[in-house]
Amino acid sequence: MHKKLAAAAVATLIALPVHAETYGVLMKTLANPFWGAMELGVREGAEAAGVDYYLQAVESDQAAEPQLNVCNTMLERQPDAMITAAINSTILLPCLKRANEMGIPVVDLDGNLDHKIAADAGVEIAFSIGSDNVAAGGQGAEWLVSQLGADATGPVLVIEGLSGNITGQKRASGFADTLAELAPGLEVVASLPGDWDRGKAANITNDILTSHPDLVAIFAANDGMALGAVETVYAAGKGGDVIVIGVDGNSDAVKSIKAGRLNASVAQLPYLVGKQAVEMVKAGGDHEDWIFVPTMVLTKEILDAGTDPMLEYVK
Amino acid sequence: MLKLLERTHVRPESLAVLIGLAVVMAILSPVTGSGVRVFLTANNFFNIILASATFGILAIGATYVISAAGIDLSLGSVLGLASVSGAALVVTLEWPWYFAIIGSLGAGAAAGAVNGFIVTRGHVPAFIVTLGMLGVARGLALIISDGRGIYGLPPEILFLGQARPWGIPTPVFILIAVALVAHYILAHTPFGHHTLALGDNENSARATGINVRRQRMMLYTISGLMAGIAGLIFTARVNTGDPTAGLNYELLAITAAIIGGTNLFGGRGSILGTMIGALIMGVLQNGLNLMAVQAYYQQMAIGAVLIAAVWLDQIRTRGRSLQ
Repeated sequence: MHKKLAAAAVATLIALPVHAETYGVLMKTLANPFWGAMELGVREGAEAAGVDYYLQAVESDQAAEPQLNVCNTMLERQPDAMITAAINSTILLPCLKRANEMGIPVVDLDGNLDHKIAADAGVEIAFSIGSDNVAAGGQGAEWLVSQLGADATGPVLVIEGLSGNITGQKRASGFADTLAELAPGLEVVASLPGDWDRGKAANITNDILTSHPDLVAIFAANDGMALGAVETVYAAGKGGDVIVIGVDGNSDAVKSIKAGRLNASVAQLPYLVGKQAVEMVKAGGDHEDWIFVPTMVLTKEILDAGTDPMLEYVK
Repeated sequence: MLKLLERTHVRPESLAVLIGLAVVMAILSPVTGSGVRVFLTANNFFNIILASATFGILAIGATYVISAAGIDLSLGSVLGLASVSGAALVVTLEWPWYFAIIGSLGAGAAAGAVNGFIVTRGHVPAFIVTLGMLGVARGLALIISDGRGIYGLPPEILFLGQARPWGIPTPVFILIAVALVAHYILAHTPFGHHTLALGDNENSARATGINVRRQRMMLYTISGLMAGIAGLIFTARVNTGDPTAGLNYELLAITAAIIGGTNLFGGRGSILGTMIGALIMGVLQNGLNLMAVQAYYQQMAIGAVLIAAVWLDQIRTRGRSLQ
């Protein structure tokens, strides 16, 4: 009986009509507005390009091994391409190597893979697509200098991401390097890891406000930490005296900017990343190793005016 | 002095470590414009307590549960659940501001009561129940908030995290008030004595007529309530109900309790000791921040202090029993 059922099931599967191109999309987690926006971009990109996709994610952006397991099962459906946002630069390599062996091209979504490490492991990445985190940090510094002037002086605090996390490091170093170049009088007096934790960022802000009461600006490697910092600045009675800049452009940050608290956020455009990734896979052809999707600085003026065409992609 | 410490169950080693660390940080910290060591300013003193407030209050919950030979691994997740529960009521549903307090404390106490109910009625080990709750509460927090922060609390709530009456941050007052009440209950009331007796030996506690089931039920509910209070403070400090708030804080809380002299296997616990444990961790973090040390060393330092405090305690008590 069971055998008959199984045979029938297999027959049904084999008899399925051949569909349009189908892509496997593997994300980190959907419990985060950033990935939600990217998923929306993937969906609308797939509709526009006339392809199918199936999307999977794991429970958190720390669940590395579960993501490898999901990746392996996704290959069983033999997608025409694997578009993956790896939790770290190495965990998916065994799965992606197998994908290559099956003739499935691999696309690195959001730039979590390292092309050199991947090549050493025998994985060929068609292209990486995502925001340029170094440039995003640099944009934050440019905006700060546009507010204070190139000859401004004073101490500046940088709050990094999780200790050892490459994304946070790139943003922080991009900010610090550009700042040193454009306004050497603004000195980064501390660059500390806030571990993406609002509470920890609040504590760091308090400590540095104590050691440097004349602090002029804070750059945080994501919006959550920037919001922790800006609330602490206000609690210390220094609201408006310290310019606070975050990165991401998420919905909390937009609300805080509109309310006149957070000064700016360098918004990534995950919607555009997802959309372009699918469209470029469909278009085929050779690509550069890295495709950078632009970032934009959100401020109260820009949000209130609402006329910037890029705002359409802020989800 | 030693007698006083013994009576309050504070490890003398912990106090020595706290004083030693404070001296080191004071010497190494930068100097302000007016020539004072930054570490030694009154403002910085409050910064340390403010930074210790959330996990310090969690540590009070941990002390109660651990000194009765239990464990609560769900503290950090319940903090996150409490944070979004309170914020969802007043921000998303637009109910009056005090529902943030009711929601946070209620969600915390409810999660704790569920832990207590399953531990006492289902006879499932507390380690497993609270490990399960660690996942359930975090997942629930993400579901309630749809995975994103709930921003924009009313001023009455922000007062609890951001105001500085007489120059002192409100969370400092809350921490001190909660700690004093918790200390009094644990050290000077029948409820406290029953808690320690239960941790010392459950069977003899039962033989002396203590309602073990009810006692445990209340201890886990108190632990959850502490996570609720900590969640409320977190929300107020950062003006957001944050579903990721308190990630791994349960380990900080348990560490503070153990450094402070609580016996991991029950029978001994002191809220004042726990506060010293929390301050040691606060001083370490604050000092390293002031020196702008690339803080990869913070976790290492806290781990080393944990082991050192318990080790020194073993040496002392063993030395005494041999005499």
